[in-house]
Amino acid sequence: MTTVRVNTYTYATTHVATNMLRSLRQIVRGAGLDTTHMTSQWEDLERGVSTWLDSRHLKALVLEVYDPRLPSGGDLVGRFDFLIDYGYSVEDDGELWLDPDTVGYTIRKNGSYPSGCTYRFVADTAPGRPDVTGWSSTTFRSTAGFARQTVGTALGGGTLGASLAYYTRTR
Amino acid sequence: MSVVARRVAAIPVRTSTQTWHTIVDLLARPESTATAALTAVTNIAAVLISEEYTGQAPIIVSGADGPRVRIYTVHGDAAADAHDDEMPLATFPTDSASWSLSLPCGVDDLEDVRRALSAHPRIDIRELTDGITQPEPASSTTTGRLAVDIEELNRP
Repeated sequence: MTTVRVNTYTYATTHVATNMLRSLRQIVRGAGLDTTHMTSQWEDLERGVSTWLDSRHLKALVLEVYDPRLPSGGDLVGRFDFLIDYGYSVEDDGELWLDPDTVGYTIRKNGSYPSGCTYRFVADTAPGRPDVTGWSSTTFRSTAGFARQTVGTALGGGTLGASLAYYTRTR
Repeated sequence: MSVVARRVAAIPVRTSTQTWHTIVDLLARPESTATAALTAVTNIAAVLISEEYTGQAPIIVSGADGPRVRIYTVHGDAAADAHDDEMPLATFPTDSASWSLSLPCGVDDLEDVRRALSAHPRIDIRELTDGITQPEPASSTTTGRLAVDIEELNRP
């Protein structure tokens, strides 16, 4: 685990925003998916996530993996959620930290997806969020037939924490 | 050839994208063709910054004129101090007609990033452990004059 100590909420949101995306990129690569698709959206992704963390509207950042050859409504093949906790720590001690083992464990447990699968990012936000260029409204794919597995808190800073969960098929 | 080094504060002072925009402002005149060329690779450069490759090895700007410029990003606890110490360059290295820029990259990302940069001829990628792989400019004039960059010497 790596830690640093600074004192502002803005630093915490920057740390969490960039490192959540960095972790999701590691999951994308670990799952055998093409990282260039994510790289091509990086600026928009980082702008949206950091804006909504700063305004405290971001509830979760979700990576949906799907197979476009499957029928709509049943095309989800995997999902990874970073869930935001704005009261993770009672004390804002300014420490910024990242636990790479949480992401590494998630990658090992999920393996890779068949070629032809692709992915997208969905931000779950609270009402009243500011609009951000490059993002549009959507709905989540159905998770029917999947169960959520919680791994644990992967990174945080001060009162801000982000825990990681993934979905596995139950049937 | 002399070498000039600068350190730019990255995460958590700036997001990876903001860090790259700061570096572009350091290297290129506003609204120049160089600014356009560097801005066009924002997504790729920001990913490399987020992976902290640019904290381990420098971004290198070379050209026929002027010194070679090395830019390091500073991450974590040291970023706030680096932000206070940031200094502009005396000139814009991309004013040279033959400027080129080399980005450091970890071996896991090398293939994807090289493919993504194929449409950007002035911008190259090198392995993190390669050091400076760019050749010296052919038209560089060697005068025997020695230039010393104190900041570079003070790097650990």
